[in-house]
Amino acid sequence: MASAAAGTAQSAVERAIQRSLKGLGYLGSPAPVLGATSKDVIVSRGPMRLYHYHPQVDEVYRVPVLLVMATTNRGYIFDMVPGQSLVEFLLLRGYDVFMLDWEAPRPEDRSLALKDYVEDFVGGAIAEVQRATGESDVSLVGYCMGGVLSVLWSGLNHAIGPKNLAVFTTPVDFRQMTLFQAWSDPRYFDVDRLVDTLGMAPAEMLLTAFDMLRPAGRASANFALLDNMWNDEFVKAHRMFDRWSNDMLPLAGEYFRETTKELVWANSLMEGTMRIGGRPVELDRITCPFLHVTAEHDHIVTTAASAPLIGLIGSPDKEQVVLKGGHVSLIAGPNAVKRMWPRLDHWLGAKSV
Amino acid sequence: MTDTPNLDPFALARTWMAQWEKMVNEHGTELLAKPEAAQAMQALSGAAIQAQAASNEATGRMLAAANLPSRADIEALGTRIASVEAALVRIEALLRDSASAQPNPPARPAVPRTRKPPA
Repeated sequence: MASAAAGTAQSAVERAIQRSLKGLGYLGSPAPVLGATSKDVIVSRGPMRLYHYHPQVDEVYRVPVLLVMATTNRGYIFDMVPGQSLVEFLLLRGYDVFMLDWEAPRPEDRSLALKDYVEDFVGGAIAEVQRATGESDVSLVGYCMGGVLSVLWSGLNHAIGPKNLAVFTTPVDFRQMTLFQAWSDPRYFDVDRLVDTLGMAPAEMLLTAFDMLRPAGRASANFALLDNMWNDEFVKAHRMFDRWSNDMLPLAGEYFRETTKELVWANSLMEGTMRIGGRPVELDRITCPFLHVTAEHDHIVTTAASAPLIGLIGSPDKEQVVLKGGHVSLIAGPNAVKRMWPRLDHWLGAKSV
Repeated sequence: MTDTPNLDPFALARTWMAQWEKMVNEHGTELLAKPEAAQAMQALSGAAIQAQAASNEATGRMLAAANLPSRADIEALGTRIASVEAALVRIEALLRDSASAQPNPPARPAVPRTRKPPA
């Protein structure tokens, strides 16, 4: 027993030393390089960026895949580092991969509305993918608000539709996002004044709102970093995710005004009253194969807010999968590598020929 | 049999932190969901927006007095540049379409789109 205690003591001392040494190194080390998978930027227009990743195998599936990123965050969450990149995983599995990513809107982009994001950016990206590949079929894969945009485009264009539609943690019943509902209560939140004054929804405001969903989250993450400073893999992962979660984008004013009024206040996607550019969004007329993957412990888009989507989609070939993980760990990191990515590949591969 | 004593100084802190995190998240979100919290947050946010608007206005007047372009002027220029960019994109697309009619080799060899899922 004495030797076991001595071993434990030695291990504790070694970790304490490593924490100190690596902690000093951490402060001075450069940020990790993220999103570095080889690609071409084929469209750069306003806040829209469309990437085409270079194939990494000799033969790809006929149907290309278009990933649609959430408008509040950067798309490199899909392409962190080699071995932890959904993009790289899909390329190696034989998909021709495109991504619709976002830059911060500029002041002149303040008037971009939901219609621009859905019809011009998602619709424009699909047209570019079709042009670049010569294929009329495209699979849409959207994350969070990128999922909402993908669903909206599909609900407007069900006659031509995507070949396949897969979305991750996509909210539809905004009444169930109780904290966001409380904070945007129209009695206290004057979205018109915010947009008319600033032109944008500032990234800092959005970051604070996301942070407040888990008030102790940041302190707890910093403690976990200090505790695990001896563990290189933990530190590397922490840096990647910390950088990504802090790298939020502002939202174009009109887009933010419209999403607040239509989606959050009127809950019109859930109510079936959503219109974009005067056209109805008809989720019940989406007939392509549909997959919705949600996370069991998602504190941002709760199960109550995302689960009803499957019932609104008209497709006879539809599936909802609830996987372990949170809003981010569902799509990136070891949990995603083990659970979601193979599930997506299994579902999409057979439908991509 | 006696357990080996835990000599890791972080062990106690870890337990305390987990409890603290659970408590703060539970009670914090409960508190933040109250209408009073939303009202207070939006009052603060409204004041910040008001201050920003006043600052923008004062800066605009100062820049005009110094015969310098204001933010609105720069934004107007940005809008015009964006429309020039959009025109360039259209021209590029037209050039690309006309070039694609030529028998030029593609920049990167096309990968056959014949893959089948594993059985």
